[in-house]
Amino acid sequence: MTVMKTSMRNFFAHKGRMALSAVAVLLSVAFVCGTLVFTDTMNTTFDKLFAATSSDVTVSAKGASDTGETTSDNGKPPVVPAAVLGEVRKASGVKSAEGTVFSTSVTVVDADKDNLSPSSGAPTVVGSWNGNDARTMKITSGAAPKGSQQVMVDADTADKHHLKLGDEIGVISAVGTYTAKISGIATFTVTNPGAAIFYLDTKTAQQWLVGETGVYTNVNVTAASGVTDAQLKKNVAAELGGAYKVQTAKETADANQKDVGEFLNVMKYAMLGFAGIAFLVGIFLIINTFSMLVAQRTREIGLMRAIGSSRKQVNRSVLAEALLLGVFGSVLGVGAGVGLAVGLMKLMGMTGMNLSTDDLTVAWTTPVIGLVLGVVVTVLAAYLPARRAGKVSPMAALRDAGAPADARSSWIRALIGILLTGAGGCGLYVAATADQAKEGSLWLGLGVVLTLIGFVVVGPLLVGGVVRVLGAALLRMFGPVGRMAERNALRNPRRTGATGAALMIGLALVACLSVVGSSMVASATDQLDKTVGTDFIIQNDGGQLVTPQAVKAVKETPGLERVTEYKWTEADFTTPDGKKLKDTAITAADPTYATDVRVETVAGKLADAYRPDSMSVHEDFAKDHRIHLGSKISVAFKDGSTAGLTVRAITSSDVVIDQGAMYTSIATMAKYVKADKMPLDQLVFATAQEGRQDTAYKALKSALHDYPQYQVRDQTDYKQALKDQVGQLLNMIYGLLALAIIVAILGVVNTLALSVVERTREIGLMRAIGLSRRQLRRMIRMESVVIALFGALLGLGLGMGWGATAQKLLALQGLTVLEIPWPTITGVFIGSAFVGLFAALVPAFRAGRMNVLNAIATE
Amino acid sequence: MTSAVTIPRHGGTGGRTAVAARARQVVKAYGSGETRVVALDHVDVDIARGQFTAIMGPSGSGKSTLMHCLAGLDTVTSGQIHLDDTEITGLKDKKLTQLRRDRIGFIFQAFNLLPTLNALENITLPMDIAGRKPDKGWLDRVVETVGLSERLKHRPTQLSGGQQQRVAVARALAARPEIIFGDEPTGNLDSRAGAEVLGFLRRSVDELGQTIVMVTHDPVAASYADRVLYLADGRIVDEMYKPTADAVLDRMKDFDARGRTS
Repeated sequence: MTVMKTSMRNFFAHKGRMALSAVAVLLSVAFVCGTLVFTDTMNTTFDKLFAATSSDVTVSAKGASDTGETTSDNGKPPVVPAAVLGEVRKASGVKSAEGTVFSTSVTVVDADKDNLSPSSGAPTVVGSWNGNDARTMKITSGAAPKGSQQVMVDADTADKHHLKLGDEIGVISAVGTYTAKISGIATFTVTNPGAAIFYLDTKTAQQWLVGETGVYTNVNVTAASGVTDAQLKKNVAAELGGAYKVQTAKETADANQKDVGEFLNVMKYAMLGFAGIAFLVGIFLIINTFSMLVAQRTREIGLMRAIGSSRKQVNRSVLAEALLLGVFGSVLGVGAGVGLAVGLMKLMGMTGMNLSTDDLTVAWTTPVIGLVLGVVVTVLAAYLPARRAGKVSPMAALRDAGAPADARSSWIRALIGILLTGAGGCGLYVAATADQAKEGSLWLGLGVVLTLIGFVVVGPLLVGGVVRVLGAALLRMFGPVGRMAERNALRNPRRTGATGAALMIGLALVACLSVVGSSMVASATDQLDKTVGTDFIIQNDGGQLVTPQAVKAVKETPGLERVTEYKWTEADFTTPDGKKLKDTAITAADPTYATDVRVETVAGKLADAYRPDSMSVHEDFAKDHRIHLGSKISVAFKDGSTAGLTVRAITSSDVVIDQGAMYTSIATMAKYVKADKMPLDQLVFATAQEGRQDTAYKALKSALHDYPQYQVRDQTDYKQALKDQVGQLLNMIYGLLALAIIVAILGVVNTLALSVVERTREIGLMRAIGLSRRQLRRMIRMESVVIALFGALLGLGLGMGWGATAQKLLALQGLTVLEIPWPTITGVFIGSAFVGLFAALVPAFRAGRMNVLNAIATE
Repeated sequence: MTSAVTIPRHGGTGGRTAVAARARQVVKAYGSGETRVVALDHVDVDIARGQFTAIMGPSGSGKSTLMHCLAGLDTVTSGQIHLDDTEITGLKDKKLTQLRRDRIGFIFQAFNLLPTLNALENITLPMDIAGRKPDKGWLDRVVETVGLSERLKHRPTQLSGGQQQRVAVARALAARPEIIFGDEPTGNLDSRAGAEVLGFLRRSVDELGQTIVMVTHDPVAASYADRVLYLADGRIVDEMYKPTADAVLDRMKDFDARGRTS
């Protein structure tokens, strides 16, 4: 009991010194809880949404997806004949049934041909206004659409694009381009997941989206009272026979939920991963805090031991303090986590998804996980310092503070650290030279973890050398103040090492990712230069297919020498070794593709793959299935018949563009797939006539002005787009890593603040003999900068090593060019110096305010 | 050895007076109202140049406070303090810091040295901070005088208590301050080491013309001074010239007895 009492007293007596540790625990726990609450809330929202939007039973074509999303390769939604509606109505237990037509393979533009699709990647949906949707949408102005001149739009889209009644809207589908005027605006009565929704009347929807009347994409069936959905499904299915897909509301909702859930899970675990990194960094902060508290309290602990406290009691009293800190930080963290989730929901609101705080879901497991994690991590981190406290001898009460360093332990530390780093280095080497990507990535992971731990362990021993070098380079010019800053950073290598290591972790990841990212861009650019012989690439960035009208517009553009269409589909392969490979990707293009992209082959010529009934496979595939030139592969096309294709080229796997693609000609594919089932183009390549690149580029752009969903890019733009894309992804990851870096910065602040307290007398002495406040502050700032740069140097070095290894490994997949992004690396290094300056702001200010007389005051 | 008159000095304002520092009607009070404690109660004092002055008095008499105020480490509630002809009361921190750095030397009872710097670096620290180059000849002489030539590269933890205090004395002397303040500089030393340090202080006054003010409660230490000031309850109650240890002790006993009976 007394143990608890002294712990409580110590905890509250030093609450200022614990504050930053508590913030570190708080931040990490808040991130974990925020992630959990946010994803749970998203799940709740979608559950409600899907439950609300599905009709009791839905009938759709066999080829339709379970989620009811109506897209297909040929740009038209899969449909059922209108007669199905009549048959459904005959089934028992049906209260009512209604046929609807929907498509998501559409683009909607305003009068200026500006795309109205959500930029967030949420779908654009055009469909028939129907009774089922009327349950979740309320017409708030105007009226429902009637006839081929009217369209109704959802209120959120209308708001975002300032659309009002009477405005003209264009609908671009695989069938054609149509215009209509806004007749009404409908508001969601449930959460709007961010989609843009447009309604037509049924007949218009049929004509515009499918190109024929007398078909529906879905038949929505409502059950008579007392009939369960399952019963209704059975009845309807019995009536229709097995020709159609029949799903209950729950099945549709589940399928939707599964889709969303998978995405949310990926997001959840990614975010938890970053929270984990923040926790790891926080551990260093906590270790440092307790080490410093124990060191400062050495005499006190010695006294406790002298008057009869056992080691265990001392040990426990420190752990009890950690427990208090953990509980305190975690409880606040759980609360902050809920706040963070609400903030994220507001942020989502800005991208168009209006999440209601009514749906805020805090599962009972969330606070439990947050608390347990926070407390366990804190107590574990405090374990080593607590053990050191237990080892304090009763004699310490009589000695002056400042125990001599344990030479033996640092020798063991060096050995362990070097062994770990060495083992990690071997792992990285094996990864770099691996010829199997899968095996190599295992080694890479192992190497990364081992070198990281190795660096953390050996870090304090590197402090001496690195800080001296940094000091010589940077601090000496500041004279005695710089020298004292250097000495201060050197005086407790373990503390400097741990503080720097915390920063090292985040920066190592930043460096690694930036190396991989820029190598990716450099490799792709390099390959584009080497292999791509075409001038322009036309595609939709969201993966939407290119409609025939757009392709026509491209082909009619003046100044072009050739246009290559490029399609993509899946087929079931049967290889010569007897293996059946379901849903294997195959690429169909015009023969000119072989000129547009000079794909390297290991056997044969790619151009030959475009001969009738021919194809190419890639190197790895050929190896796996013992395929050589002349082998025959049976290819069963989706929605088509089976072809026997002869392999006439084997392409190298060592590429970035179109890696692993297998090619055949569009003509070959057309022999086996009916014209109306042919997939739309995924990409279109266009090549200008010699010397007319500039005019052709302009002409192409204006030709596609009416199709804002497609981007036309020449090679320069394409490279830039690639770079932007990679940059965007990196920025997102950097953003998430910011949490870990913030915790690390808190660690620097913490170390400095505690050091200043520890050196009160020293600071007083220096002030007494004439050190000005400004010099004192500069000294502390410089110590901080040195610590930060120490961490940055180690982190950047380690990260670049990881990145280079990853590049060597990924060279197997075409990442052949290693590019170190020096501007980024240098920027991070210089930025770290500023981080150091920033971290020292408060500690330096407080040191400057300290009373000079403290030095002279004898205890 | 040079005489006091020929020693080149740094700082100061040329027209030197016989008084190195003077306090007029200095009051130092803490708190207010009922809890008001007066540490210095209208103190007037002149510190003679080139002399060794000791300030004595029982605990709580205000002797340390007086020294802190004279040295510009602490502020006064009212009254004036002049260092040479510079009034230091009312100076801002920046000016005070400069003054301490350039014109005053300090020797404290304990924790005189920065543990991260070696002996030589500690000695030259005030000049380093000021960005001044130490006068090599002078520095050598000071180091030699305090007998530290062999230990200049040692860190404070590698020195004995007496050696550490000698480094502190050397530091105080090296910058050639107008005045050196010592706060029980021998309080932590055994009598032999203490005598050694006090001997240096005495010699620096006699041979180098240094002005020294030292707070102490040790009659033996006080006997090294030219003049002893006695403080009680924040007031100067007595003084003694050319003190001996016995005389000081007798006087202290006197005060003690009076203190008990009153």
